[in-house]
Amino acid sequence: MKLGVFFSDFKGGGDVMTRLSADKLGIILVGNGVYHATVKENGKGSPLLEKNAAFYVLTEDLETRGFTVDKVDSRVKAVTYDDIVDLIFNDYEKIIWL
Amino acid sequence: MEKKTLGFIVRSLPYKTEASRLALTHSIASQSVDIYLEDGQTVEPIVCFIGDGVLNCLKNQEAMKHYGDTSIGMHMENALLVDLKVYICKEDVERFGLTEADLIMDAEKLGGDMKAEIVPYASIQKLMNEADHLQFF
Amino acid sequence: MAKLTVGSFASLVGSLSLDFAVKLCQAAVKKGHNVDLWLSGNATMLSKKGQKSFRDYSALQKTIEELLATGRFQMTACEACAEARGYHKEDTLEGVKRHSMDWYLASCFRADRVLLIGGD
Repeated sequence: MKLGVFFSDFKGGGDVMTRLSADKLGIILVGNGVYHATVKENGKGSPLLEKNAAFYVLTEDLETRGFTVDKVDSRVKAVTYDDIVDLIFNDYEKIIWL
Repeated sequence: MEKKTLGFIVRSLPYKTEASRLALTHSIASQSVDIYLEDGQTVEPIVCFIGDGVLNCLKNQEAMKHYGDTSIGMHMENALLVDLKVYICKEDVERFGLTEADLIMDAEKLGGDMKAEIVPYASIQKLMNEADHLQFF
Repeated sequence: MAKLTVGSFASLVGSLSLDFAVKLCQAAVKKGHNVDLWLSGNATMLSKKGQKSFRDYSALQKTIEELLATGRFQMTACEACAEARGYHKEDTLEGVKRHSMDWYLASCFRADRVLLIGGD
């Protein structure tokens, strides 16, 4: 399946993500999920970004929390709400929120 | 028959949020969805408990006694009573040191025949692959 | 154009998850898609009329009214969830429907994509 995951948490949801598999997986970091794209805890990036997936981060939620696009991990692409609508309809068959 | 399968995946603990309750009440609502659909159309829910969500399936929940609320266990029995397919993740059951004897596996006391199944996560992943839409609670 | 069904049980005030749901609906409608927004649990608060706009709280009523006016958006609240919280039919925003949960499942049946946004 082609699965798009809206990941909205910083500390929770990892147990689900670890096991979740899809032929094509996209992880869209929204809400507090944006910290995965920006924060280096003890100098290390988020383990979530090691997952075999395409990563996106919602610019609006990033800026809301005091970050700018230039601070985003190079594996993550910044997107807008408009972009997310296109991802939903063009790139993924199923979408979930964690 | 045009059927859409909706996966209701419960990963949250019960009672602190409404998540697992809403998963069950929404899935049970499939019993009357026909009034909004055309002839020959139907919705089939599958309910899967994974991660911490398996703790929703414990027997002897006394939410009614202490808070006057229908327990998640009662909703689970109602789901089985109306023949919904209910799956519980084996690895997570084992992780919590639980066995089938600890869990609500049927609605026999209400006269239901359907039984919940404890299955490996791989089986739940397969069900998710096959579902038309997925919703995580 | 396609159809998106969004379900949410996030609170109106607090987590911004319901704000996300509404902004996503807005972006989808703007691109010409049809959108159903289903409100259950604490999200039914969004269906109540008379919401005042303060800067410390999410204020979504105006956006909802604009979305409803497009004709490509419908918002429906879970009737039992609303009644349990003291929101009655007469308290409901104009143009917003109230149904039982089976309505949502039928909307999912007809949708190209379904996104359930949880909450507290």
